[in-house]
Amino acid sequence: MITKVKIAGYRIFEDFEFQPDKNLNLIVGANESGKSTLLEAIALGLTGRINGRRASEELNPYWFNTRMVDDFVESRKAGNKVAPPEIRIELFFEDRDDLQHLCGAVNSEVPTKACPGTSLRIIPNPEYIADFEKWMESPSDVLPVEYYMEDWRDFADNRLTQRPRQLVTAVIDSRTVRSAHGVDYHLRSILSDNLDPSERAAVSLAYRQVKVSLSDGVLGDINERIGAGQASLHDKPISLAMDQSARTSWETAITPHVDRVPFSMSGQGQQAAIKILLAMDRHSDRAKFVMVEEPENHLSHTSLATLISRMQDLAGDQQQLFITTHSSFVLNRLGLSSLLLIGASAAPRIPELRKDTVTYFQKLPGYDTLRLALADKIVLVEGASDEIIFERIFVDLYQRRPIELGIDVISMRGLSAARALELCKALDKRVAAIRDNDGIDAEDLRKPLDEFLETGKRELFVGQVEHGRTLEPQIVHFNGEDKVRRMLGITLRANLATWMEREKTEAALRISESGEALNAPDYLREAAEFIHG
Amino acid sequence: MVNRLTLGVAGSGKTRGIVEHCASLAPNRRVAVITFTQANQAVLRARLRAVAGSHSDIEVMGWFAFLTRHFARPFVPFKFPGRRILGFNFDGRPHRFAKGPARFLDSGSSVYACELGRLANELIEASNGSLMRRLECIYDEIVIDEVQDLSAYDWSILDVLLGSSIDITMVGDFRQAVLATNPRSSKHKGYAYAGAIEWFREREKIGLVEISYSTTTYRCRPEIAAFGDTIFGPKWRLPPTDSKNHEETGHDGVFLIHPDHVNIYVEEFSPQCLRHSSSSGKRFDLDYINFKAAKGTEYQRVLIVPTAGIEKFLHAGEALEPGPAATLYVASTRAFQSVALVVAKADSCGLPWWKPV
Repeated sequence: MITKVKIAGYRIFEDFEFQPDKNLNLIVGANESGKSTLLEAIALGLTGRINGRRASEELNPYWFNTRMVDDFVESRKAGNKVAPPEIRIELFFEDRDDLQHLCGAVNSEVPTKACPGTSLRIIPNPEYIADFEKWMESPSDVLPVEYYMEDWRDFADNRLTQRPRQLVTAVIDSRTVRSAHGVDYHLRSILSDNLDPSERAAVSLAYRQVKVSLSDGVLGDINERIGAGQASLHDKPISLAMDQSARTSWETAITPHVDRVPFSMSGQGQQAAIKILLAMDRHSDRAKFVMVEEPENHLSHTSLATLISRMQDLAGDQQQLFITTHSSFVLNRLGLSSLLLIGASAAPRIPELRKDTVTYFQKLPGYDTLRLALADKIVLVEGASDEIIFERIFVDLYQRRPIELGIDVISMRGLSAARALELCKALDKRVAAIRDNDGIDAEDLRKPLDEFLETGKRELFVGQVEHGRTLEPQIVHFNGEDKVRRMLGITLRANLATWMEREKTEAALRISESGEALNAPDYLREAAEFIHG
Repeated sequence: MVNRLTLGVAGSGKTRGIVEHCASLAPNRRVAVITFTQANQAVLRARLRAVAGSHSDIEVMGWFAFLTRHFARPFVPFKFPGRRILGFNFDGRPHRFAKGPARFLDSGSSVYACELGRLANELIEASNGSLMRRLECIYDEIVIDEVQDLSAYDWSILDVLLGSSIDITMVGDFRQAVLATNPRSSKHKGYAYAGAIEWFREREKIGLVEISYSTTTYRCRPEIAAFGDTIFGPKWRLPPTDSKNHEETGHDGVFLIHPDHVNIYVEEFSPQCLRHSSSSGKRFDLDYINFKAAKGTEYQRVLIVPTAGIEKFLHAGEALEPGPAATLYVASTRAFQSVALVVAKADSCGLPWWKPV
């Protein structure tokens, strides 16, 4: 299992390091934060390949971190002899017996450390050093990758040319197969890993025999007829036979079928699901690395739920899973404790969440934990009406909507504030939590949440009991009945409190859209000021 | 660990023994077969392919390759952080007083062959056990051919290997110790030749290795085998050699030839002529091979132009130093049928003279 990943100079990662969990890693992050790049880099280190092709064939200038390239070009232009940028991807493995031939101390660890591992570097090719120097006299920001070479080695400093057989790797992207061959590179390698060598040999042999019998049988009669005719070239006989060359091997003709429908003809979601299950379904004592990109793509909610539960059944100690996702459902169901929030320099694992909190969110998989994870600053409110009113107050104060300033206002819809705050603390987020006092003193409400609160970082905002138990009486208190009636457009005959209690959301909407100035209840104004910072 | 050493006389079929041993192993056993000369590696590879072709996990490599691949390259950062070994420098030597990396690596980061043993030995300890753990996971068994050619730090490395979980199978003949992996080092000088046998006998006493003797030669005539035994004194405590070559050609055994008769002898018997080095044997215009280069070869007949030391041994019965003794042993045991020694006089050896009729 991979214990550490170090990436330097590759795409978004200037100097990135992370220590994955030995079983499950759920990688989340905003768009362009490097989720796919991270999986790509891990696959490169494991297999030396990217999309089924050798790193050296796929190498292009955009592999290099742009900031490092810019720095280099600028520095060269200023006359400094800085070394050209390089890419380094290092994977450190668990110190297992069967990985020992990859073991050594030739890695970037300080102090020197020996463990199994691989290191893939993209470095200037010494053969072209003169040409490269010449180019560097007037460099541009597109590096001449022609002068670079790939150098893939294990930590024993032995050059690797193909994936070490212990590092069984499956890459599942959400792209779907629509090719004539029916099976793309990734699926072919998954299939091939799924069969053991004797099964593979048996299939291959049987396939050959079928082809021979076809050539001898029905084609035999046809060939006799053709032979009798004049259809020959240079007097050499022409016949029809099954192609026995390697490029027509069984792997291209035999494909998985689902309910008798060939894989390539099945739905997109189905395809991804099959790939995932094939990749994970293996009874073997080898280390196994499975990388899944956004399993939620192309799947309906129920199909996704089924897939996730199958994945959980198949997951085991012999597999290390890396999954990127944009789905809170996937995140909650597979377990929030495996969440890795990716950043430019690291993907820190969140500190221990209490087991019951993980279970809590697993049971409520619809909850939008991903929003919590991805927001810069968070305002936790109890329901839709609080959300609407808070937005209005915020806009009144700052003339901008909170989301424009990276503040996500999230309604908990009956969810426990304690659970949400625990997660926010684990993610080290800045939070304003707003709730009704329900007739209880602020101090008493704060007490059970104390361990998750931190002055200046995560605070609880509650209205004073004497100003009303919930949001509606608080608004009435700060604006007076007449003004609120005007804003709501209701007559004197209606009971204001009852109406507002019954039509919570409608009331909030009318107030927020009213042209009249709204006096914000103190606790909401304070919350807005706190989160705006 | 099961460690075995077979000491076999010249012509006892040591290489064949290794090949047969490998063929008898379980096919999935991971074995490194280590030998010292390139010629030997080629011979072993070819023979293994012929009889142990289904054993895919048998690797044949030289001692230097073994030390580079499994000791020096993976673990050099433990002694010199950030350094890598980029090549192998067979002939070069560090400055006499070189310290630090310069002791072991040349300016191009190639490791000096003559210092490789020392580096490997130091890395065993410096790696805090990683090095041996790795090796133990990679190989079930290591077979070392020509174990007599180990020198200097190699002995410390062998000592660690003997104590590991890997089975070590060794074959050799200390009477044939004419190569040395580090010609200059003074480390473990005492273990050369007879001392090496003592080294193994000490380890046999504590159960670290089992020694067996293979005393039958299928190559040399009984007279040649007996002569070979006389080259080494009794302090070696080696059992006498037994010969299974009873082929008769009319000229069989060990003979003394007067320098005046050399040309006639060569004309009549066409022996392979052997000499110490290119500077010796200039008195005769013959097609020579040097003693050391003859190692591992075999000929119907040989003619040896002795060194001064060998002459003294033949004439006055003066015991040879272990080095010269080994070269004479190697030279004489190349022959199936006859050995001719060119001397003017040889009073004490009791060997017959050959004279032209």
